[in-house]
Amino acid sequence: MNKQNQLAEIDHSGKPYIIYKSKNGFNLFTNFSKKIILNKNNIKNFLRKKYKNNTKNTDLFIGFFGYEILNNLINIKIPRQKNINFPKGIFYKPEKIISLSNNLRYKSDRNSKNSGFKININKKSYTKIFNRFKKKIKKGETYQIKICTKYKTKSKINSLDFFSRLSKTNLAPEAFMIRDKNYSIISCSPENLITKKGSYISTKPIAGTVKKTKALNKIKALNYFKKNLKETKEHNMIVDMERNDLSRICKVRSVKLSKQKIVEEYKDLFHYVSLIKGVLKKDIKNIDIIKAMMPGGSVIGCPKINTLNLLNNQEKVNRNIYTGSFGYIKFNGDMRFNIIIRSILNFKDFSEISVASGVVVDSNAKHEFNENYIKAKALIDLFK
Amino acid sequence: MIYIIDHNDSFTHNVVHQFSLFDKVECDNYNKIDKAKLKKASTIIFSPGPGGPKNYPLTSKIYRKFKGHKKMIGICLGFQQILFCEGANIIEQKKIYHGFQSNIQVINNKSLFRRGQKFKVGRYHSLKLKEPFKKRDFEITMRCLTSKVAMAFENNKDKIYGFQFHPESFLTINGNLLIKKILSA
Repeated sequence: MNKQNQLAEIDHSGKPYIIYKSKNGFNLFTNFSKKIILNKNNIKNFLRKKYKNNTKNTDLFIGFFGYEILNNLINIKIPRQKNINFPKGIFYKPEKIISLSNNLRYKSDRNSKNSGFKININKKSYTKIFNRFKKKIKKGETYQIKICTKYKTKSKINSLDFFSRLSKTNLAPEAFMIRDKNYSIISCSPENLITKKGSYISTKPIAGTVKKTKALNKIKALNYFKKNLKETKEHNMIVDMERNDLSRICKVRSVKLSKQKIVEEYKDLFHYVSLIKGVLKKDIKNIDIIKAMMPGGSVIGCPKINTLNLLNNQEKVNRNIYTGSFGYIKFNGDMRFNIIIRSILNFKDFSEISVASGVVVDSNAKHEFNENYIKAKALIDLFK
Repeated sequence: MIYIIDHNDSFTHNVVHQFSLFDKVECDNYNKIDKAKLKKASTIIFSPGPGGPKNYPLTSKIYRKFKGHKKMIGICLGFQQILFCEGANIIEQKKIYHGFQSNIQVINNKSLFRRGQKFKVGRYHSLKLKEPFKKRDFEITMRCLTSKVAMAFENNKDKIYGFQFHPESFLTINGNLLIKKILSA
């Protein structure tokens, strides 16, 4: 049986499965023997647990941490919010992994339905929040903060159909999809937050994205970013913040900026990225790493703790998966996690898409509001 | 031992790593300051952080207690905190510098650094020192070449130093040398 048929077959069988971008294609994880739904009380045990068997490629847990549980983990309070009671985090133990090519061929005859997306914050209230945060920046309470807006619709969709179409237009390096019985997530996340192998760790923040056009090649994209003072300053701040987060858990002298402000080319986009590496201190556990690095700073703002508090006191709706992390923890301790952005969460016949863009001192409310819409539109268009 | 007080910042651990190049470093959050470590430390560092000096009364208390007895260094907010304790006004500035690389220059003969020497430094500050500011033994020793904003002070009598910029930032060239010189003063 060829692999594409196998994919269709697993999908039709109704079995839960996960697809995650690999170096040369995708990996499909299925035949789950365990499913752990995380909450405030069990997450620490989950992260501290040690496993004896660690030689098989299925010796791992794969899944996600939502935004709220990452706040819980570092003792940051979230006031009461509107909540759809989506789980705070779920991890699965797969018994089977299938490797797939980049070309996910899948056709479904089931048409998707939706009732039209509605935004939770209109332009007027967005501008109000924006101006409030700008004042906070002037007072030095935060240096950069990302306002999140959420688009939501009643819907019925075929997740695999969406994901395969999305991967054709945007083959993102941290793309993933989860399909379980009562929910699904489709994501074209571009951003790796943690890659840990043995005692080596790296993070690859993105700050700055520009759409590819015929006139804009890689060299011109680099010039664009270099000349754009706002993008440059935002990026600088993220680099120092990620150096800081790694320095919490890494050996002195080991934290290095190994790629500084380079342009990476993807199918439709150029990203302005840096790569920061370090060597872990001896006594550091995975829970320490997750607490130091998550939620990923580039999608929150800076400094992290104060900015999280400002955001949480502002936001009326639970972020669910947005700005959480998806990835895996191998039983030998190695990890790979992304930042959950550019994602669709489908749950209880609703689809939601969250986006955020940054307030720094010289950004403009109208521009950032539109920027948010452009980011969401790429995903909303899948519903057509 | 160097004791760093972390004012909840996302840059403090860069400071920790930088000072660790020269001595043993201990670092605690502002809410968990350890009296024994404070006492033991030969140098106390006030980290960068959000907000202004009025938000951190405990740091002001520590500064006043150890002034003249221990070497103290303030970075960004820490710089403002020390000057605030010395009677300065810390005010909002029209142009804000976050993630900004600036050229600064040593402008004072009483500095540990050679007058006229230039540095490229990283800046993350909303607030600044209101000038004129005059206080015995305190000298403004560095200024931004374009905005003229105060970037460093030295009090070589009491061994108190402050940087408005971030010596630990990747945007600061030769930040380690700056710190080394201050620590050996």
